[in-house]
Amino acid sequence: MSRALTPFESRWLAEVIRQHEAAKSPLEDGDLLPQVLKAPADAETRILRRAELIGAREGWLAGITTWREHARTTLLILALIALISGFGAALSVMGTGERPVNVLWLLGSLLGVHLFSLALWLIGMMADGQGGGALLGRAWWWLSDHLGALGMGRKRDAVIGGALLHLLAQHGLLRWVSGAISHLLWLIALLGALVGLLLALALQRYAFIIETTILPSEVFVELTAALGWLPAKLGFAIPDADMVRASGEGLPQMEAARRAWSSWLVGCVVAYGILPRLLLWAGCQFLWMRGRSRLRLDLNLPGYAALRARLLPASERIGVVDQAPSSLPGARIQAHTAHRGQAHLLVGLELGGDIAWPPTGASAVSYWPVVDAREERQRLLEALRTHPPARLLVALDARLSPDRGTLRYLTELANHADATHVWLIGHEPRDAERIGYWHEALQSIGLPPDAVMDDEQRALHWLEHGS
Amino acid sequence: MSTPLHLAVVGHTNTGKTSLLRTLTRDTDFGEVSARPSTTRHVEGARLLVEGEPIIELYDTPGMEDAMGLLAAVESLVKPGERLDGPDRIERFLHSPLATERFEQEAKVLRQLRKSDAALVVIDARDPVLAKYRDELTLFAACARPLLPVLNFVHSPASREMEWREALARLGLHVMVRFDTVAPEVDGERRLLEKLITLLDAHRLPLERLLKAREAEARERMAAGYRLIAELLIDVAACRVMVKHDEEEAIRRQVELLRERIRQREQACVAALLKLYRFRPGDVDMAAIPLVEGRWKEDLFSPDALRGMGIHLGKGAVAGAITGIGIDLIVGGLTLGAATVAGAVAGGLWQVFGHYGERLVGRLRGFRSLTVDDAILRLLAVRQRWLLAALDRRGHAAIEPLRLEAPDVKRWRTGPLPKALQSARQHPQWSALNEGFQPEAAREKAIAELAKQLAEEPPTP
Repeated sequence: MSRALTPFESRWLAEVIRQHEAAKSPLEDGDLLPQVLKAPADAETRILRRAELIGAREGWLAGITTWREHARTTLLILALIALISGFGAALSVMGTGERPVNVLWLLGSLLGVHLFSLALWLIGMMADGQGGGALLGRAWWWLSDHLGALGMGRKRDAVIGGALLHLLAQHGLLRWVSGAISHLLWLIALLGALVGLLLALALQRYAFIIETTILPSEVFVELTAALGWLPAKLGFAIPDADMVRASGEGLPQMEAARRAWSSWLVGCVVAYGILPRLLLWAGCQFLWMRGRSRLRLDLNLPGYAALRARLLPASERIGVVDQAPSSLPGARIQAHTAHRGQAHLLVGLELGGDIAWPPTGASAVSYWPVVDAREERQRLLEALRTHPPARLLVALDARLSPDRGTLRYLTELANHADATHVWLIGHEPRDAERIGYWHEALQSIGLPPDAVMDDEQRALHWLEHGS
Repeated sequence: MSTPLHLAVVGHTNTGKTSLLRTLTRDTDFGEVSARPSTTRHVEGARLLVEGEPIIELYDTPGMEDAMGLLAAVESLVKPGERLDGPDRIERFLHSPLATERFEQEAKVLRQLRKSDAALVVIDARDPVLAKYRDELTLFAACARPLLPVLNFVHSPASREMEWREALARLGLHVMVRFDTVAPEVDGERRLLEKLITLLDAHRLPLERLLKAREAEARERMAAGYRLIAELLIDVAACRVMVKHDEEEAIRRQVELLRERIRQREQACVAALLKLYRFRPGDVDMAAIPLVEGRWKEDLFSPDALRGMGIHLGKGAVAGAITGIGIDLIVGGLTLGAATVAGAVAGGLWQVFGHYGERLVGRLRGFRSLTVDDAILRLLAVRQRWLLAALDRRGHAAIEPLRLEAPDVKRWRTGPLPKALQSARQHPQWSALNEGFQPEAAREKAIAELAKQLAEEPPTP
């Protein structure tokens, strides 16, 4: 695809993809992400860039271009039809000039359908403002959408037309587009009619009469004058009162009267046919083009909201800047067999203030106050060095995490005692995972699983009796 | 500030540093999180971006595991009679062999801290204030960088927040932030950024940019959420099914079909909302919302669901087996406002025959149309709004069950339905659940209007 997309087409393509992804699953775009992330950091820009890349890959880009071509072709065909039918209608309505022409009836035939359709459009615009009354516009749309299928039997990719419809509907532009098309086609038809009218007037001889069964002729004088007011302002000659009355009486017509009536006819067609359609077409076209240039994606739509989070990431990784050490030196309890001590000591290490100390069942046992600060730890170590116990029970707060500092200190304590067990206090059933980590950590310093207890009675029993 | 702010995230092992980083970076796969202690043993970084520009560089560090030993070691490096202040002592330690052997992990932390502009010190508020934690804070303070303590797990019942506040104050740290990576507060992230701004005045501008960007992001997300709910309500309100009114069996079947369609449509909306907020099935913070595996526990059409929300069935609804469906007689359905009729007539003759014609023909052939009762629409509105509010707050631990007497909930329970919904009822082509679905500009306008209305009322907490 050599031609770049216009901003509007970009958004159309984005809408195609959004609808496709909403109906089916999100499209694969991992390989396109690096390119997308290079685009300026604005949500809409990046979404459009992604849409372009995906559209090129999936063939929707080509689809959009094709749709536009079809639309243009359809418009051309319809314009041609309008021109020819307007021309033909004018000629057939004028007739050959053998019989006198009923001038008001002629005007009605030339402008009747046009005025009715115009009225429908106006009512439609006032009622719900959505321009549903632009029937020709709808016909053009339908044909454009189906042209590919009709003409060449190719399967119509409904999503392209559907996305355009949705996009236009959402931004309130559909009424201007369909209005512009409708008015344009009518304008062409009326121009064709005008050409036919002029041709007929130029090359054939007509006599204009007014017929009536029930109305007085004064009505027609007023009617002619009223209808002729606008054409007169535009510079067309209109028949005066005498000419009107004369036309109603079936007398042979004067040259001046014929000319006046012709001028009046042409003037009415221009003033009430071409002019309104021209102005409305210009108005709709202007509003459509203005709306199109102002069109931006509505980023609140669900598909875009999710994309925005991905294309405008909140963070990016820097990676590891300081590698983890392969291993850390760990402490381990030194095994010794000499039965040096006799004491049985209960010690609490880093226990939280809510844990009762000393524990209720420990009345018969010698215990230390809770050890936490550096000085207290030093003091305990000193005491153990001078009086090594036979059995040492260390109570730990199971809600804490095992860390190297605590484990190292435990090792130092255990090195002085003959047998050391650990009692994990303060856990609740839901902390089963944490207990597991404690077991692991304690095993790594050399305390077997049976040396780690969490039941108060069992722990104190071991301390007193050794089993 | 063209260079981004460097922040180190430090603390004891297992306090939730990596979780905090995941929350701030919105990157759910950053680093490794596990209850196992000493999970993070390297220093890993991430950049926070605003419109593609890096504002903050965050560094996750290993836990400090032997602060007490390290502090003792650092003090022993000072020769008697020497006067070295904090940073100098830390430098001396970092250049000593201790930094590569026993205290290699702690050295990484302190080195990163020295390289940063400031640090977030993450503390598990459930832990007692032990001596080793105080030593840790002393070491951090010795690095001479502004420190912002982040008290994590404050919403846990075991939290000891007041003890920690006092302990931190004794160390000269008076500005701190409450957080909870599991059950985050409504504006936890905002408060963290605001406190950083007070701590680091020189970096005020980029931090405020980040703050504003995050707020804008949250607002946009909510707007998208309201739009999803509005579209759900329009689709359901406009949905209709034709039934021949004499055959009860056929009615029952069509009713069941209609209900199933509505249920699925609601489920699609719920799934979309969950996806919008990147809710993952494993997240525990949705305890207060009766969603089971991403679906509402209460069936939309059960009388309990309606009763639970304090909504009453309309008078026209038939109770019992076809609860919740209003039988909309063709006669009633055709009393349209003048504007609609005119619009319909002008709007394309074939469109008139399209839907009204169908109903006219249907009437002649003895059909009725089934639509969804107002009560169900109310229920949908109330419970989806509640879901959206809950997602926005992500499981604030104090999330209360829906308060039925809140003025905005009352409005949906008992007030008149919004105009957009009333007009949706007259436009069956607006419902994606019906066959004649056509995306129209009027539908988009109705959705936008309804979304705005939904958003105007502050939703229940």
